[in-house]
Amino acid sequence: MAWRRRYDHVWFVLPGLLFFAVFIVYPTVSAFGLSLFDWKGIGRDVHFVGLANFAEALSSWPFYRAALNNLIFFVAILIFQHTVGLLLAVQLNARPRFMEFYRTVLFMPVIISLVATGFIWTLMLSPNIGFINPVLRDLGLGFLARAWLSDTTWALPAVIVVQAWNLLGWSIIIYLSGLQNVPQELRQAAELDGATAWQGFWHVVFPLLSPSFTALTVLTFIQIFRVFDVVYVLAGPLGAPAGRTDVLGTLVYRTAFGAGAMTSADARMSYAIAMSVLIFILMAAICAGLVHTLRKREAAV
Amino acid sequence: MTRRAVRASDVARHGLLAGACVVVLVPIVYMVIASFKSVPDFFTNPYGLPSRWVWENYTRAWNEAKIGITLPNSIIVTAVSVLGSTFLSAMAAYGLSRRERPLAMALYLLFIGGMLVPVQMIVLPLFILLRTLGLFGTLFALILPYIALGLPLGVLILTPIAATLPRDLSDAARIDGAREWRIFLHIILPLMRPGLAAVAILNGVWMWNEFFIPLVVAFKPQSQTMPVGIVAFIGTYSTEWGLVFASVVVATAPLILAYLLMTRQFVAGLTAGAVRG
Repeated sequence: MAWRRRYDHVWFVLPGLLFFAVFIVYPTVSAFGLSLFDWKGIGRDVHFVGLANFAEALSSWPFYRAALNNLIFFVAILIFQHTVGLLLAVQLNARPRFMEFYRTVLFMPVIISLVATGFIWTLMLSPNIGFINPVLRDLGLGFLARAWLSDTTWALPAVIVVQAWNLLGWSIIIYLSGLQNVPQELRQAAELDGATAWQGFWHVVFPLLSPSFTALTVLTFIQIFRVFDVVYVLAGPLGAPAGRTDVLGTLVYRTAFGAGAMTSADARMSYAIAMSVLIFILMAAICAGLVHTLRKREAAV
Repeated sequence: MTRRAVRASDVARHGLLAGACVVVLVPIVYMVIASFKSVPDFFTNPYGLPSRWVWENYTRAWNEAKIGITLPNSIIVTAVSVLGSTFLSAMAAYGLSRRERPLAMALYLLFIGGMLVPVQMIVLPLFILLRTLGLFGTLFALILPYIALGLPLGVLILTPIAATLPRDLSDAARIDGAREWRIFLHIILPLMRPGLAAVAILNGVWMWNEFFIPLVVAFKPQSQTMPVGIVAFIGTYSTEWGLVFASVVVATAPLILAYLLMTRQFVAGLTAGAVRG
């Protein structure tokens, strides 16, 4: 009876824990295990190869190219979120008229799937049937018109813009909730001291927003290093054109199931799993470093 | 500040916000307009209204783009997964909220740690596991992983809420002879309602839109949800843009409608998720 009283809470945890163990813990352990083997994904042709898969990934050019694209992607989105997102959050926080309307509209892309977002923009950017090129021509900017998604220079920036459109709401949500915790009196005190609105913001308000800065940076890091849907829809599993938009997500997918839709001849399941394990370890390490540095920055202000 | 300066900054503020709203709304409106266009209309009239409103895009999409199958699938998968993972999260959160009990803290950290595991890493072993369990071709291949993947966020949001519930309530009920289970259903669960809504909204939006897991485990329309169904359709009929956009509108409209009807709950839920996640 005493034992029952002591552990009765465990019964409430057990069903959830069962799901968690079977569909999250087991596949995680299994991923680490399979990464040490050579296996195509089907059949019984399985060999233990130790860390060879990891060594191969770390010495292959596509892996670095994809990681570099993720990095460019991350830096661009990060700058966008911390400038445009913050600017719009500050405007909303001033509680202008129609504030409810603006907020409702600006948050909306967050609930729209990346697949839908990808389709909408594929069509808008299309050189044949899209509307961005005709609009540019009508504005007298016809020289800017191009086949955005098959242009080796502009494909990646185009994909980044599409993702930025979808993610903008998150930065506004996070900064707005941060701004609502900044006491109004602090800003007013700064203004009475003769500080301009900009100085007041930069020296008084922005430092108080550092928890939002941390949360948004970490969230963006996780979102962008796992990016897949937008690239898959806009550029296909090969990261067209010529791998210019290839990211780690598409690289792993393509390696696991083969590049062709119907053939799995070049599929290398265990190598793909090893790559995803490697990405997970690197991301966890960078993320921990990021959180550590940003928290120190929060404590300093 | 002088009145004129106030007015100037007001104009700038409304200009910025309205400009951003236009950038957000144009693609959404464009999607709806595109869903009513005929194929030649896309070429001759790229950014005007349809020369003829082709409602058949929707009826044809229902059959040809298989949304007559994938829409019910999306509804079933999302509804069952949201209910399942919210309910199991609430149970786990209630059990874990007494942190002084043995194991509670360790299990809590284990659940939260699940947030760090990327879907990309587990989806391949999951593929093998589901194939072994014989779940391929059924909606359970999506529902069971979704329930599990919804738990970390649910536990993260609900455990602190469960911990703040007054203990005397359940103690009083216990003295009255109520069993733990009935205390949970009739006292604890109703008190957690705002937290449950946040969890259901966050997980629901994610599950409705999720693309990667069905891309890997669902090959036929019978077991596909809308996002993968649309991508599979475009692979076969890549010029039928009107049908594609009719499907995209059908896949997007339910969420936008729910968002417009419950903006306050969505904003609260998304804020809770963004700041904690």
